[in-house]
Amino acid sequence: MNSLVLLMALGAQTPSLAPVTWERLLKAADEPSNWLMYSGTLDSQRFSRLDRVNRENVSKLALKWAYQIPQIDRAETVPLVVDGVMFITESPSNVVAVDAGTGRPYWRYDHELPEDLRICCGRNNRGVAILGETLFMSTLDAHLVAIDARSGSLKWNAEVANHKAGYSKTEAPLVVKDMVISGVAGGEYGIRGFLDAYDAETGERVWRLYTIPGPGEPGNDTWAGDSWKTGGAPTWITGSYDPELNLIYWGTGNPGPDWNGEGRKGDNLYSDSALAIDADTGKLAWHFQFTPWDVHDWDAIQIPILADLSLNGEARKAMLWANRNAFYYTLDRKTGEFLVGKPFAKQTWAQGLDERGRPIRAPGKLPTPEGNVVSPPILGGTNWYSPAYSPKTELLYVNAYDGEQKFFLREEEYREGEEYTGGGAENVAPLEKYKSAIRALDPRTGDLRWEFEIQPRSSSGLLASAGDLVFGGTVEGYFFALDAETGRELWHVAVGARVHSAPITYAVGGEQLVTIAAGNVVFTFGLD
Amino acid sequence: MRPASLDTCLLLLGSLWIAHPSRAQEHAFNSKVDVEMGERVFLSECGRCHGPDAKGNDETDAPDLTRGRFKSATTDAGLFQVIRDGIPGTAMIGIGWAPETTVWQIVAYLKSLNVDPGDYVLPGSADRGRDLFYDKGNCIACHMVRGEGGRLGPDLSTVANRRKPEELKADLTHPDETVEPRWWTVKVTRPDGSVVEGLRMNEDTFTVRLMDARENLWHFSKGEVRSIERIETSTMPSAERTLTPGEVDDLVAYLFSLRKESGT
Repeated sequence: MNSLVLLMALGAQTPSLAPVTWERLLKAADEPSNWLMYSGTLDSQRFSRLDRVNRENVSKLALKWAYQIPQIDRAETVPLVVDGVMFITESPSNVVAVDAGTGRPYWRYDHELPEDLRICCGRNNRGVAILGETLFMSTLDAHLVAIDARSGSLKWNAEVANHKAGYSKTEAPLVVKDMVISGVAGGEYGIRGFLDAYDAETGERVWRLYTIPGPGEPGNDTWAGDSWKTGGAPTWITGSYDPELNLIYWGTGNPGPDWNGEGRKGDNLYSDSALAIDADTGKLAWHFQFTPWDVHDWDAIQIPILADLSLNGEARKAMLWANRNAFYYTLDRKTGEFLVGKPFAKQTWAQGLDERGRPIRAPGKLPTPEGNVVSPPILGGTNWYSPAYSPKTELLYVNAYDGEQKFFLREEEYREGEEYTGGGAENVAPLEKYKSAIRALDPRTGDLRWEFEIQPRSSSGLLASAGDLVFGGTVEGYFFALDAETGRELWHVAVGARVHSAPITYAVGGEQLVTIAAGNVVFTFGLD
Repeated sequence: MRPASLDTCLLLLGSLWIAHPSRAQEHAFNSKVDVEMGERVFLSECGRCHGPDAKGNDETDAPDLTRGRFKSATTDAGLFQVIRDGIPGTAMIGIGWAPETTVWQIVAYLKSLNVDPGDYVLPGSADRGRDLFYDKGNCIACHMVRGEGGRLGPDLSTVANRRKPEELKADLTHPDETVEPRWWTVKVTRPDGSVVEGLRMNEDTFTVRLMDARENLWHFSKGEVRSIERIETSTMPSAERTLTPGEVDDLVAYLFSLRKESGT
């Protein structure tokens, strides 16, 4: 033991990885050398105060290291960085700890999975959460596991739902106080969605909020007959938390079956909604439904960005939300009041929003057996790709797509554990025909400030920084930096495969680094 | 309800076919009903990634299954295995929980998407069409067939595996209707005002690559040129202007003979 201490002292470095307390997570913005949670901070702005890499020198960014994930899936991981250690999740449900300065591994955890998984859209995992010295990870068999952050040993393994009934888990959990908040996927399998809180120490469930109300609960009457039992409304992207209001914010996914709404007439609460949830009780404080009775698979699975704005001379605790249905919304996050709304991408399905933010549907835009062309397509005006907000520019940066698809309707019977979608959509023209862009929106008005056009499109999340930069990627395999004020391109590098994740930035030994997963490789860039 | 003995029988037959791929084409689930059942399950279980039209999906990178070629299987038995077991290490998961009959029906559906030459009696003569292709039509100047010909149009060596006769005829007579982005024209104006024009081999956010009429390859960074114009029409003239209707039929018959030879 004494020799170990001596060796560490001779290493001329401080040991890596100090425990991540709740206080550290509350003040994550104050330690920008780390990336402590999926969206960086509890308000999910994906804004870093680091400015060593900035508009003047970003063109000099060069590769520092690369880590090859030993799976040929497309990585969706957003790594965490804690005091020089990076935690990277891998497909299907694994995690590896590497040195954040070199990419060299400490340990790995391989989660054993059954062979009869029910997953709609790839063997994805988007990242871990951390509290103390424990990591929390969702797994494809709908479990939540706790892993020792120093060694990779399993601490507990909780079954969240039965994967054979169509549930899976892909999202990075969110730590709130001493709890792990975690959602489920399965909106294409006729699940009944929910959001859970688990005791971080024991893995015991603290509360569960069903995203579809049961009989006798308000909102259950927005589902025809028994359709609420198989109505979907999953919770497959990480939410946010406001410590002053003690509210957790989480988006919900599509109602099921996705494209055939005939058997589930009604608004289908709380599908396609923003939910505000009391962190201690799990009770719903308010909800805002973006797309009532959705028949186009436009999940409200976007990251709720919390920002304080001055709106018409009034200070507002706001929530910024560019939705898959192609409308941008600013809500009051204390009350759920609708403040601003307008399209940020091409849409043909609604004539507009009413004074309460409810869409006014355009006639003739529902899926049909023969197919009906509607904008946005299934992929949406945006999708789950993380947006970013800079308090310096006071702009929201969002990955936008002006596409369209032909939507089909078909009959489908529910059978447990089988896909339950009731239709689909297909392309009517090459993707190259449509416009894709990174757009900067003014959250006070929803107005477009600038856009940077992408060819053919992007499925990347974004990162904003105090260096007045916005980082993002493209499907054809670029990673780039834009001027946050003007959208001008300042740097790009070919990373060889689709960027289907979101960038992070952090520092090791005072050097700012930027990391992005592309294809199945995690790349890290720096100046020195 | 099916008798248990039949299930057992099907199971054994399935195993036998996997063990002997040469007999794979003979599986028993090729009826119209099987194809319809296969389509129904495909739409439900596979359509989310591969698309309801089986033409693939950009978001999931699921491949197009309508081209008669599969990346991971060359026989029906191989297809059966991929559908049942998935492809380890990839996003392709199997439906091993489904009855084997269902898996065979999906195989039958996917095979039904291929163009079967036996389904067509064509009015034209492939021999005359071949002469047109090489002589009067001069198609060979731009299109390659089995290693011979030009590079300014798609390689047609196996075009019949992916296009039906009526589609081939439409391609010939109305070439501007469906032009794949690969065959659009790009006109690049350089800083000195000179222009390079050619077929759009590839384009992304920051660069474009093209082949000019002399088959030279060019690469441009978009930030370093004055302008880039995209022309989304075909460079091929309509056969309606250059050939008689009978000659068009002959050319279609020739093109429909260009298919992957069995065993290759």
